[in-house]
Amino acid sequence: MAANWAERISAFSRRPSGFLSGTTAEAFLAELLRELRDDRATYSVKILLLSPLCEHPTLLCCSDSVGEETALELMSVFAQCPPKSVQFRCHLLLALTSVLICTSCVKSHSRASLDFLDVLLQIAQDTSDIHTDGSQRPLRAIACECLRELEACCPGLLSQRLELLGGLWQQETSRLHQAYAELYTLVLRNAIYQLTQETGAGAEHLKALLGGNTSAAWEADQESGLASSKDSAILSSLILGPMGTVPTLHTGPDCKELRSVLSTLLDESYLLTPLCQATLLHRLTEVVAMVPGVPPAIFRTHLLRLLGTSEVSLLHATLLLKCAFTDSLFSSEDEAFILKRLVVLSQHLLLSTPEKLFYMDCILHFPENRPISCGDGDETLPVLLTPQLASALVPTVFNDSATLLARFNMLSLVYLEEGEEGQGGQGLAYLYEHLSSLLSMVENGCGRELVVTFFRAAFLFLYYFCHVERYSNDLTKQLCQLYLNHTKLAPHFINLADQTQDRLSESSWSVGLLKALQRVITEAPLTQLTSHDLSRHLKMLARVAEEGEIIQQSTLTFLSSIITPSSSSLCTGGDWRLGNEILRVCRHLLVHPSLDSLLTPLADVLQLLVCHYADMEIQDHARLYYTLLTTLSREKLAGVLAQGMEEGGRQDKKQSLSCLIGEGLTSTLTIQQTERAVFRLIEAPPEPRAGDINSNEVQKGPEEASASMEAYRDQFSDSSFASEITLQYQLVHINSHDSHFDQLFSIRLHFSLTDHHYEELGDISVPCLLRERPSAIVQLTLKPRKPYPTSLHASAIFTSPDGHTWHTTLPDIHVAFQQTFLPLPVPSNWGRGGTLSVFEGLWDEICSESGDSAMSLFCCQLKEAALNTLVEKHFLPFLISDASHKEEFKVLFFLPPRSHILLKVSSEEDAVHFNIATDNWELLSHVNSYLLKITSL
Amino acid sequence: MTVRGLWIISHENGGNLSIRFSRRFSTVEHRAKSLAGSSYVAVPEESTFLQLLLTELGLSDSGKNYVALRDDCLYRPRSPALELHVDGPAKGILWPVLTVSQGPLILACLPLVDVPPDPRPPLASLLSVSQGLTLLAGLQTFLLGSGSKPDSEGLGSRLAMVPSVLLQVCPLGTPLDVPLPGTPTAPTSVGTQKQPAWKTGLHRGRAVVNVGLIETVRSMQYGNRSRQDLWDVYVTLSLPPNGSPLQDILVHPCVTSLDSSILTASSVDNYDGSAFSGPYKFPFSPPLEPFRLCSYTSEVPVPPILGSYQLKEEENQLRVSVTLKLHESIKNSFEFCNAHLPFFNRDQMGVVDMKVSSGQLDVSKEKNLLVWVLGQKFPKSREVTMEGKINFSGPTPGPSDPLCTKLTAYVKLHFKVPDMTLSGCYVDQHSVQVYSSAKPRIVTSRELQSKEYYIWNSTGTAPVSSGQMMM
Repeated sequence: MAANWAERISAFSRRPSGFLSGTTAEAFLAELLRELRDDRATYSVKILLLSPLCEHPTLLCCSDSVGEETALELMSVFAQCPPKSVQFRCHLLLALTSVLICTSCVKSHSRASLDFLDVLLQIAQDTSDIHTDGSQRPLRAIACECLRELEACCPGLLSQRLELLGGLWQQETSRLHQAYAELYTLVLRNAIYQLTQETGAGAEHLKALLGGNTSAAWEADQESGLASSKDSAILSSLILGPMGTVPTLHTGPDCKELRSVLSTLLDESYLLTPLCQATLLHRLTEVVAMVPGVPPAIFRTHLLRLLGTSEVSLLHATLLLKCAFTDSLFSSEDEAFILKRLVVLSQHLLLSTPEKLFYMDCILHFPENRPISCGDGDETLPVLLTPQLASALVPTVFNDSATLLARFNMLSLVYLEEGEEGQGGQGLAYLYEHLSSLLSMVENGCGRELVVTFFRAAFLFLYYFCHVERYSNDLTKQLCQLYLNHTKLAPHFINLADQTQDRLSESSWSVGLLKALQRVITEAPLTQLTSHDLSRHLKMLARVAEEGEIIQQSTLTFLSSIITPSSSSLCTGGDWRLGNEILRVCRHLLVHPSLDSLLTPLADVLQLLVCHYADMEIQDHARLYYTLLTTLSREKLAGVLAQGMEEGGRQDKKQSLSCLIGEGLTSTLTIQQTERAVFRLIEAPPEPRAGDINSNEVQKGPEEASASMEAYRDQFSDSSFASEITLQYQLVHINSHDSHFDQLFSIRLHFSLTDHHYEELGDISVPCLLRERPSAIVQLTLKPRKPYPTSLHASAIFTSPDGHTWHTTLPDIHVAFQQTFLPLPVPSNWGRGGTLSVFEGLWDEICSESGDSAMSLFCCQLKEAALNTLVEKHFLPFLISDASHKEEFKVLFFLPPRSHILLKVSSEEDAVHFNIATDNWELLSHVNSYLLKITSL
Repeated sequence: MTVRGLWIISHENGGNLSIRFSRRFSTVEHRAKSLAGSSYVAVPEESTFLQLLLTELGLSDSGKNYVALRDDCLYRPRSPALELHVDGPAKGILWPVLTVSQGPLILACLPLVDVPPDPRPPLASLLSVSQGLTLLAGLQTFLLGSGSKPDSEGLGSRLAMVPSVLLQVCPLGTPLDVPLPGTPTAPTSVGTQKQPAWKTGLHRGRAVVNVGLIETVRSMQYGNRSRQDLWDVYVTLSLPPNGSPLQDILVHPCVTSLDSSILTASSVDNYDGSAFSGPYKFPFSPPLEPFRLCSYTSEVPVPPILGSYQLKEEENQLRVSVTLKLHESIKNSFEFCNAHLPFFNRDQMGVVDMKVSSGQLDVSKEKNLLVWVLGQKFPKSREVTMEGKINFSGPTPGPSDPLCTKLTAYVKLHFKVPDMTLSGCYVDQHSVQVYSSAKPRIVTSRELQSKEYYIWNSTGTAPVSSGQMMM
């Protein structure tokens, strides 16, 4: 069982949605809670059981009331758990915290959350183990952490306990003082924040707060404080840089108490772990920022220690301190020192790459004392970062990709600022040289990562220095050479051309590159061309053909020479893919602005394809293009082809005639997912049953009861006999959906089971579904293993009128118990007598047998008329006795594969009795709820 | 100051990357939801997260040459904070996903953005980012060990310990500490003085203060006038006294106070002879485990070993000439000293006809590397040479390298000199003051070791390795 739980819990956390589709949240939660209460389960398993509650409390507790109940359950588990299982108790506290916070129980001050708060405070204060073994200390630490999280999520929750918490922090000498210090500073920060929101709050209130004197003065404030905590502002960091505003509390210079508390916290801060120190420092920064009565100089004695630290989080907290207080705490020398420090750290050998990159980011968002720009989140260079200083950070080929690019970016900014004269020019020359050495590494055949890095560096260079033609022209030249030697880089080149065109709309570099590529491709000798190269060249030329400014004659000459068998053998194979690539170029040329001048050569190329290309389909398409080109006016041609190419440009994937080949191919081949369900299956109204055996009065079939039974039983020797039920459904649109899906074609429905009671279902095809036409009828054939009610998941793939293929999920289909009923499967020529004798035979068997058989009685109050209607409405197809024989109705439901439910319904004086007999006792509960349902209507 | 989730990814036995551990912090997620408001993006399920992360890291579809999502040339700062583009109903950009990776392991976490999310705030404004990085680095050290070679042997068993480690260091998403190497010893209450939270307990056993000083020297020598040679020194763990000025000093958080004069010297500054030259004092309260008290860099006037490397291409062979000169200030007593000469982008070595003036020469098994073992001492002249020809006629091509093509080649030196430092820095045994009732034994040591010590072939092009060279 334990192993099973480990598996289930890990399945849940891997994919909660998938896991819960196999069961329900309520059921899983109930199971978890039951197992947690089970004394036989070990604590290690129980700890495992708590993890879903810690990680996904809202998935399991769908409403606040469920959360509340769950919390109460967990608390009683906690109360009963022996103190020595510290680990489990710790995890229980964490689970409780998660459940109560996430279901908003804490926010609404529910019973359970108040009780839990008391438990936590009790644990936090319980230092009775201090002189013994300290075994409860982890529990106390976790309790503090839970309190801190409660306060963090519901600011102000503990404001009134400030003095208590302060006392605990001061008394504690073991390592736990850290937990108390963290808790205390957060509560202090939130309490002061709340005071800033009170009009008229001042020194007195602050004093009262610290002294724990929270009586009359702001009992009322508490409520409004909690109200304001709905606003997320209090959750946010208050240190926002030059543009941020901090709420302030006006106390005048007299806030001795607060100042002394802050000094003690700061003086003892070195006792905390660096991570906690950083948090504490940040909280205290916020407090001092909110209370102008306390001068920022209170931090000064700690600055040196913080600036010399090798810990990234401590230095970061110090930078945020600078951000908050700028020149009221840091001189300009300090500023220069810190910047230099950041440069040193950005390339320090002992630091990890992520840390170094983080420091570089800090340089680009340096909190200057007197910032020039308003710091809107963009990267800006601090004034003090000179080229000389930045030269420590030039990119080199020894850097990893991320470092290389980050340095390239920063140095580009530096040299851009310097201009092309002097040091900037020298620096720029260095950057270009660096880019060239990357290029030569790509030329030498380096790995994929370096290739990507090179193209990113090239983009960066162009982004900043595209206007420096001496370099950008040379880069074009070098890139062309690179392309010829490494045609497999074609997608990278196209991507570079695309991105530079998008981002540098002013510059024509991208067109220049494409023009140059067109030249090298078309001028290179054909003899050395492989079919791989050709395919990449064609991709490139297709991209070139998108540019209206580029003259396309040479492209056409190239196409014609590769297709002409006498000049090249590349196309003699008639490769379909290659043919499509040629056609793609042609299609772009068909909408090229200079089409008039291309008319003859393009027509020639298409003719060549029609005549010489060995693939039938390519010939057809070429013929189509040829016809379009020669018969349509330019405007019409553009209209036919350009739809979709013009609007969205390259990325657009709209359908048009010609897009079926070319880029349209991808979107027609991909299946897209609908956002919501488009249609669903609803139960079709029952058809009148034709050929009902009861209407046939011919008395045939075996005369004797035993013979009937035998004949009836014999039928089942064929295992497929009467093993299926067929259900009729209508496929209908879900209303109020977009008109895009009004007409759907080639719908293929796929069903999957949610349990093991049925055999797998086959797919069903529906030719079309049109909103204005009557809905399609779908026959679902189910083959039960056990005839229980079930649900089916359904999904579908269909085609929309624009040719796209979609995948959609339908709402689940629920198969009710009564839908599995069939009339008694006897040969159609049997009359009532035969069926009646089978009924009696079965009844007797069930009465005499035990095993799986069972008898039962269901009673209810029904008037005679009502009973008749009920029989009419629900039992008619299954009625064995004569309908006119109203003293006792005999009804038989056959449930595939071979279960029977027999009813004898009779009106007694006190009530209607449904005598039930079945050969499958497991069905009784379903029968019962079915009868309850139909009789209560 | 909090993280929303934590993921540990590593290669499975089959080689596929998979999530080995993940933890979501639901209460932090709850906060994230109310902080981000309408721009909230939920954390996707494991498999989706993994796939998005690998795409951003450039690790997905390794068989494919170009994947638009992965290889787009548009520059965005990817590291250390990635953007994950979540698709589907909960569409949006998940940011900032921090990652660190080493050896077989990738660790990721998602810090809470506790400032207004629009426009996107700089990383530097989020304290949770540096804390997240610290947490990840700590977990990485815990899982792989702190050595340079990742110890992936015990990875499985240490992964199994992660849940209980997290209970201590990050129970609810707020990192409190990094995993400590040992388990905390039994807690003790000592009088009224507060115990540092980072001290795991009380030391039991003999009191010893062991101060080791390791200087590491890097060098790039080009043997070429237009390119200035380069060397610098950095040190791990020391208590430096008078000597050549120490720069870029970084100290461990257990150092309780610092003098401003110690911090001012910086390697990125123009050197002005007035720098502070010691003694450098560091008052601290040591943790129990070994730790790096401080690190520094220093500029020394000469490299310890000056080398020259010359290659000449002759028909099907290379003429090689190497000279190494040990500076007179360096103690001629090595723990070891080897020179490695790798040859890339060529066939395997065939005939090796080389003469060395000292030491011995080995050809590696793969036939693409010469190892010149110089042993413990240079000869009296303090100069050694190697001359000869190599013929590359082996049957199979050797390893390739995008950088070292044609005549771009290097000699890499590996050496260690005990009991000496380049900067002259040392720890005076008598200056180590211990304020403790126990009289501890004090042991100090020094050593110089090489790292990235390259001598480039002066007849070929060599890559630039630092910006200081051009200014």
